[in-house]
Amino acid sequence: MALLHSLLLKITTRLKSHEIRIRRRRAFGAWLTRHATLLRIILFFIGYAWMIVIPSPRLGRGIYIDENALQPAQANTYWGWGDVRNADRYLEQLEYLRDANATSEHRAQFLKNEFTKLGISASIQAYTYTLGTNVLNGNNAYAVFSSPRASGTEAIVISASWISRIDEGNGTLNLRGISTLLALAAFLKRYSLWAKDIVFVVSDGYLDGMHAWLNAYHGETQSNLLAEPLYLSSGVVWTALNIDYPGHSFSHLGIFYAEGCNGRLPNQDLQNSIYWIARSSGVPVTVYDHIDTPVSSLSFNWLPDALQKEVRIYTQHARNILRHVKYQARGLPSGVHGLYHQYRIDAVTIFGIPATGPHGFHSIGRVAESTLRTMNNLLERLHASFFFFILAAPERFLKIGHYLPSALVISAATMFGGLKAWTDAGWASEIQSTKTYDKGISHQRKHRPILGVITLMASMHTVGLILFWAVMSSWYMNNSHMSFLLFATTTALVLLIAGLYRSHYGSDLYSHSQILKSFNLSLASAIISITTILNFSLAAILAILLGIPLSICIPSSPTASLPTRVLRYIPYALLGVGWLLFPSKQVEQALWHWEVLSVWFVPFVCIVYTPIVLQAGLVGLI
Amino acid sequence: MTFSLKTHSSWPQDSVSRLTFPIIAGIRIALSLANVTKSLRSNPLLSSPLDSFLNLQEGVYLFKHAEDPYSGGSFHHSPLFLSIFTTLLPSSQYSPLIWAFCDIAGALALVSIWRARQNTSTSSWGDLITIAYILNPYVILPSLAMSTSSLENMLILITLKFASQGRQPPTLLFLAFLVQVSLSYLLLILPIFVLVNMGPSSQLAKPHGSTVPIRPIASMFGKFLVYSLCLTFASTIIANGWSWTSQTWGASLLLPDLTPNPGLWWYFFTEMFDHFRPFFLMVFSVHLLIYVFPVFLKFRYDPLYASFILIGILGIFKPYPTLASPGLFISMIVIFPEIYAYLRHPVVTVLLYLHASLLMPLFHGLWLQQGTGNANFFYASTLVFACANGAALIDCIWAGLRLAIGPDSEEYVIIQE
Repeated sequence: MALLHSLLLKITTRLKSHEIRIRRRRAFGAWLTRHATLLRIILFFIGYAWMIVIPSPRLGRGIYIDENALQPAQANTYWGWGDVRNADRYLEQLEYLRDANATSEHRAQFLKNEFTKLGISASIQAYTYTLGTNVLNGNNAYAVFSSPRASGTEAIVISASWISRIDEGNGTLNLRGISTLLALAAFLKRYSLWAKDIVFVVSDGYLDGMHAWLNAYHGETQSNLLAEPLYLSSGVVWTALNIDYPGHSFSHLGIFYAEGCNGRLPNQDLQNSIYWIARSSGVPVTVYDHIDTPVSSLSFNWLPDALQKEVRIYTQHARNILRHVKYQARGLPSGVHGLYHQYRIDAVTIFGIPATGPHGFHSIGRVAESTLRTMNNLLERLHASFFFFILAAPERFLKIGHYLPSALVISAATMFGGLKAWTDAGWASEIQSTKTYDKGISHQRKHRPILGVITLMASMHTVGLILFWAVMSSWYMNNSHMSFLLFATTTALVLLIAGLYRSHYGSDLYSHSQILKSFNLSLASAIISITTILNFSLAAILAILLGIPLSICIPSSPTASLPTRVLRYIPYALLGVGWLLFPSKQVEQALWHWEVLSVWFVPFVCIVYTPIVLQAGLVGLI
Repeated sequence: MTFSLKTHSSWPQDSVSRLTFPIIAGIRIALSLANVTKSLRSNPLLSSPLDSFLNLQEGVYLFKHAEDPYSGGSFHHSPLFLSIFTTLLPSSQYSPLIWAFCDIAGALALVSIWRARQNTSTSSWGDLITIAYILNPYVILPSLAMSTSSLENMLILITLKFASQGRQPPTLLFLAFLVQVSLSYLLLILPIFVLVNMGPSSQLAKPHGSTVPIRPIASMFGKFLVYSLCLTFASTIIANGWSWTSQTWGASLLLPDLTPNPGLWWYFFTEMFDHFRPFFLMVFSVHLLIYVFPVFLKFRYDPLYASFILIGILGIFKPYPTLASPGLFISMIVIFPEIYAYLRHPVVTVLLYLHASLLMPLFHGLWLQQGTGNANFFYASTLVFACANGAALIDCIWAGLRLAIGPDSEEYVIIQE
């Protein structure tokens, strides 16, 4: 009897503990449902605030060299005034060629001859791109200086493109860069300490020549590119240095450190090494061509002294980071170095920022020599330092943990929105009483129409695919002024699909639209959080463009009239397809980068971004 | 019952549904002839060393030139595949069609299983099953990559089909084939034997403590051994020796090739010191066996469901999985519509799958193509994938058991099943 009693007691206490657990869980669930909106608002706030804080000098840390083998600025440099005179003589010849309007073949032939005169085997590679009806051709000259000390299984590339990166390859010639390269060839050959082959490349055009050369070097084929195979070859390339020196002299050395095609960054050690080398050679360094003027154009005199400095640094950092986002988000390479990245070659451009002085061939030559010595020291691929970072200033950077959460938090807020919409769609009536957790919720499960919504989303992505084909077609390339027509057609096509959908599923469109909202938010959240790793700038832009706009779209109520619904749809149409109305030059540039350099920004926008925004528009439209 | 067969209302009517199957099959065949799929063949997510088509071709080449393909250590396919792809189906530009037809056969088998389970002959649900199997990305991609794991999937489905129809000899034959080509599927023999004897009809809603017929199962096991021995003997004749056993069955136990795959074994054994290897190989292999009896005991009244759960477990914990192994589990969910109303977190599972599907190729690319990531990135993404598979599996186990208690009630809460 006593045994039975104790057993009963045991069961009762067990049940009691279960009851407490279940009540607690329900209370938590009810609390979460009640405060879901507040939670989302808080998360959005944290995310956007974090993005604003990113340029702050209090975030981030100073740079340091992680790879011990690099030993930057530890070698004596021998580049002297004789080599500067040498470079000057090459410059004279190049200027003569420029003034004589020499053809591309002629120039390449000249460069090849010069390399051959130095006793370095050289060759020419001709290439042709076919872009619709346009043809783009040129000739790269390159030379391979075999390592006196090793078997030639590894190589360093030094390159200079014919057209400088100034104004994004607008046509200024990089004559001094090429002269430096030629003088360096003559100079480096005198030393026997090279453990790796040195490959000199003078590429034609701005990005196109180097892309063709790298393609051929790595034995890849591209359908619209006809590039001659390379007669001379060398080993695996780990690092590369690109020299860009368009002006007469320069005041600062700008390091175009990062942005490769599709937002890939080189290992930070390379940029840090060049920073140390330039600093120790007495050349001031800056990122991009941003020269920090002592008197900032913005005046913060009205602020207290302690804050003034911080705000000034903040604006400088913000300027650098915005420039970074401008390149990375669109997947644009910020210079010729960006083309190397897709072949796992870490590369940077050193850019002489045009000024009246005081630096010239002497400084750039010494920096290049010392950099090559550092690269020569490498025993394995650069891997120790960071690949995921944001450089706020030449000597300060943000680790992945300092910036990544901002976009992830917004993505999480978006995801919560999606889950909330999903729960809402599953219940016929919402919570009535907020005081007690047991009685308020009416347990009327509702059927969720999933198949229709998935079909609708698939059709939106098909619309995106069609839009991509249209943009890529030769019709669009020849009539890019017709982009308004394309915009109108896409917008109307979505309206048509919405109309068909409404007529097919006559009843309960409210839950359709709730499910659509839920799926759309979840998809957007997944896209944002995954893009953060691949291309943070793009993810941040997506978080800004998609986060709140997608969360605030109102599911269509049965009573909403047609004009109201269309009116709600218009902003989303503008947000989603409005880029077609941008200046056609921007769109053309993006298309060129897709066709020539396989930068996937255009297909991403057409097939992922636009459909997601249009689906948000459909939420209010169906 | 309130499960969502309501979707029928919006699903195409019968006149259309007669067209659905040919359209889906046509799409599948057309895709197999597309040239772009060649680039998929070397994708490690879609084919592991044990089932890659490229390895198979290499083995066939060696075999034709009178070399022992098993001596090199890179060929791990069964001698049965070796003989089939040397004689009956030599490699040609039409080889992808074989995989297309196998997918279609698999889909038809799945529809037959559904029909046997529901005891109906026509139903428009069959179209949905075809779509869910043939167009499931986890099924179609490995199949386009011509991974032999797709052929294993077809063998499983055909075995289950014959078992559901109660046809003992073909069940045993196909099961013996299946175990020949992939040893891990030994796990399925118990539920499949019971399935032959008890039938596939859904018993989830009204579980009963039926006794498992021991004697017929024992005799089936005997026959299965005979079939297996015959096939083993045939393999030995084909391979001209016993070297194949260590390279095929042995490979799934000893894990000689650590090429990354979406499973959980490779990273663990890359990181491990060599002297711990035998112990953990034993632990990992035996760990798979642990599940068989609990799952079978819990679902002994519905052996088809037990096989389904075990297929899900294999999809997570197999030594060399590809996307096809979890893919089969996901597609099979469609033949159990009665559990849908009781799934607890289907959206979370779907979102996990979405993230895993995007992360795995991305992180693999970051590690091995772009060079900015490392092995930990890809391993982390396979963990997300394992979580997704686990979430799906646990939810299916819960729903399968929960179904017996009936719909939710206002006053009661289920604490334990």
